[in-house]
Amino acid sequence: MPGIGKLTGLLISALIAAFIFAACSLASPASGSGDDVPSDNLGASAEAPAISTGSDESVRSAVDFEHELDAYVPLKDHYNFYFTYKTVHPWWDAVALGMEEAQRQFLDKGITITYEYMAPDVASAEDQKKKLLAAEQKDYDVIGVDVADERIISPLLDEMVDSGTKVMTFSSSDAAAGCKRIAYVGNTHNYRDGADLTEAICEKLGYKGKVAILVGSVGAPCHEDRARGARDTIAKYGDMEIVATEYDMDSVDIAYDLTLGILEKCPDLDGIICCNMSNPVGAARAITEKGSNAVIVGMDHDEEALRYLDDGVIYCLGVQDCYSIGFDTIQTAVKIADGNQAGELFPEKTDEITTIIFQKNAALMLELLYGEM
Amino acid sequence: MAHKIMITKKMIVLTAVIGSLLIMASITANTIWESKQAAAATDEAVSAVSAFYLEAMADRRAKAITNLINDSFDEMEKAVTFIDGEQIGSQDELRNTIGKVESLLSLNRFALVDEDDIVYTRYTTYTGRSRHSFLSGEEKKSRTISTVSLYGSSKQLCLVIPTPDQFDIQDIVDLLAFDDQGRTHFALYSKSGANLSGTELGPVISDHNLLKAVRGIVSEDVLEEIQGNFSNEKEGNLSFVSGNTHETLYYVPIQGTGWEMAVLIHESVIQDRIQGISKKYLETSKSLIIFTLVSTLTLAIIILFQIRSLSKAKLLAEEENSRVFRNMANTDSLTGVRNKHAYSENEAVLNGRIQSGELQALGVVVCDINGLKHVNDTRGHAAGDQLIKDACAMICNYFKHGAVFRIGGDEFVVLLQGRGYETMRDVIAELNRQVEANIKKNSVVISVGYSVLNQGDQQLRDIFDRADRMMYERKKELKAMGASPSRI
Repeated sequence: MPGIGKLTGLLISALIAAFIFAACSLASPASGSGDDVPSDNLGASAEAPAISTGSDESVRSAVDFEHELDAYVPLKDHYNFYFTYKTVHPWWDAVALGMEEAQRQFLDKGITITYEYMAPDVASAEDQKKKLLAAEQKDYDVIGVDVADERIISPLLDEMVDSGTKVMTFSSSDAAAGCKRIAYVGNTHNYRDGADLTEAICEKLGYKGKVAILVGSVGAPCHEDRARGARDTIAKYGDMEIVATEYDMDSVDIAYDLTLGILEKCPDLDGIICCNMSNPVGAARAITEKGSNAVIVGMDHDEEALRYLDDGVIYCLGVQDCYSIGFDTIQTAVKIADGNQAGELFPEKTDEITTIIFQKNAALMLELLYGEM
Repeated sequence: MAHKIMITKKMIVLTAVIGSLLIMASITANTIWESKQAAAATDEAVSAVSAFYLEAMADRRAKAITNLINDSFDEMEKAVTFIDGEQIGSQDELRNTIGKVESLLSLNRFALVDEDDIVYTRYTTYTGRSRHSFLSGEEKKSRTISTVSLYGSSKQLCLVIPTPDQFDIQDIVDLLAFDDQGRTHFALYSKSGANLSGTELGPVISDHNLLKAVRGIVSEDVLEEIQGNFSNEKEGNLSFVSGNTHETLYYVPIQGTGWEMAVLIHESVIQDRIQGISKKYLETSKSLIIFTLVSTLTLAIIILFQIRSLSKAKLLAEEENSRVFRNMANTDSLTGVRNKHAYSENEAVLNGRIQSGELQALGVVVCDINGLKHVNDTRGHAAGDQLIKDACAMICNYFKHGAVFRIGGDEFVVLLQGRGYETMRDVIAELNRQVEANIKKNSVVISVGYSVLNQGDQQLRDIFDRADRMMYERKKELKAMGASPSRI
């Protein structure tokens, strides 16, 4: 009967849709920080990376410089924090500016915020561990960590929390799933960022070609998550091949050398997926020098990278809202210092947006961030 | 034979008109030329004044910034001396001390940096190598100035002695804006032309990169020159036209900063004032042109009328003279009647009329004075002349409706037409009676013969000859009656 036939068709369609949805969910990483996994997003307002529509407004909204403290009234008139992040790098300078703005606004309200904001010259989980142990001995209201290596740092954070220290994570990398840190403020969708950038390069290459993956620091959750997102996406397309995966340890020079090496081994390389801020700069320098046509996709807002984007050397960049991360970190730290837990006053994960921008957006982004047109 | 050029009335009028037009054209062209010269000179003066003004402004402001920076350096050195005197034992004490320095010296921000490039400010302590480019170099031993690009388009000028102070460019902008009071546009630029101050340099360049903004507006050569000047920290100026906007800017390097201070003034600021004067001058010129045109036109009209009047008067005088001369030529000076010349003219006219058959009736009377020669010979020419006058008066008295001509010394002719012709015979009869009476009184004796136009006459002479023959016959008769020359 025609009516029964139509009903059966609808049921089959629904089953197929449900199957695809389930398959996508299973494709999410089972290890690492577990970002993009619904069960880890308790209280977070997780958002998928925005793809710039090319309009000025979409680019301007990628970084929000307009912030005001919320209505929360701090219990004390002076707070002292300790923050440590992966490595000395301009990306965290942008975070620092958001933190300083929040500090200034608290000062206007009569509340003094003092803090240390420290990092090693080279990313090192061991160095971070030492810094945290030293900080634990001092009387900081809150200790914030941008996790260098979740396997090494997460257990330490648990111990610190157990001993009564108020610990939060912030900026690019959260601790491992299940860590007892009180809250995380930063990018919660690194896996998605990696996947989205990879989708962009696959589409650009016609879903066929050889690509390399450049990653930042070994064990850094945000970098590793993005690399996993990239690998999983490549795996979807039979004609796409990963010819190399390398770690630059957040160094532009190393990224440059690694790219030269990859191009030597694979002169017909079609693309490079860059998972941190230094990767695309080093890669762009190398392919420009070698005259390669490899398509580059990468992360963040490095000025040199934006210029390569403007020149068409880099295809697209995922720009994170570092300023908002910094501002929200200080605001959340004050609430944690007052003894609050994640919930009504602040989410367990405060999500910040990533916007993927293309060549047509580069000039405006340069102007917004660096005052260059 | 040389032709004598006759000046006609038309020539005079034409000359006057052309002359007036030439004068008007000459005056108008001269006035317009002078106006244009004045406008060009004004423009030149504006450019010169603008360039001079801008150069002075740019220099003054560059010095203001340098002074501000030097003052800050001095204050920072005082701050270091102050810190040296403090017993700082903890981070809190350091922060408090830095806070005191900021308050005491009114510094915008003040920081200390240790040998590990850790930056200590009043509220924060942070690793600053990536944020402050001056930290990545060698140890600072003298005053150093560094520009820091902050995320979000902001820029800072860091002063290092060797402890860095973060110096807000906005302070400089505010200082210059206060000093400028809105008279000019100014902005600070990096060597690459990037706008550091965030201020707008006029509507064309606005707050954009200066070198990029003028690309396409100025020639490649000029652009290269400016790029070179910016890179080498040299001063210079630039003029360009974009749309209807003509702008001139002057840029000077600010010592030790790697910046260029550019000052732009709309030429309108000066030009408006000078053009106001120029406009007034042009208005005056226009009025002068109109006044000159009207005056010249009026003058030309007056001259034309005067020339016309003079010409007319001269013409009338000439006509009168001509008439007088003609009368003189046709009049016998002794008797006042028409002479032989006049008779000849009339004869020619009458011959034509006779030959054409137009003339139907004409009488010719020939009169001769008896005894004139005898009187002249015996009593003198004065008596002879008197005799002629008396005889003429007598003839004129009888022939009131005829034309009397003296055609010889003692010979008169009277031409009669109309009424004179009709009464001719009666008059002659009366005259003859009078003559016959005069013989007895020894008075004027005139021999009269006459004839009229007959069919077959071809000319006046035919009639005259018949009358003349008759006159001789009469002379004989009168002689017979006793008229002898000795009796007159």
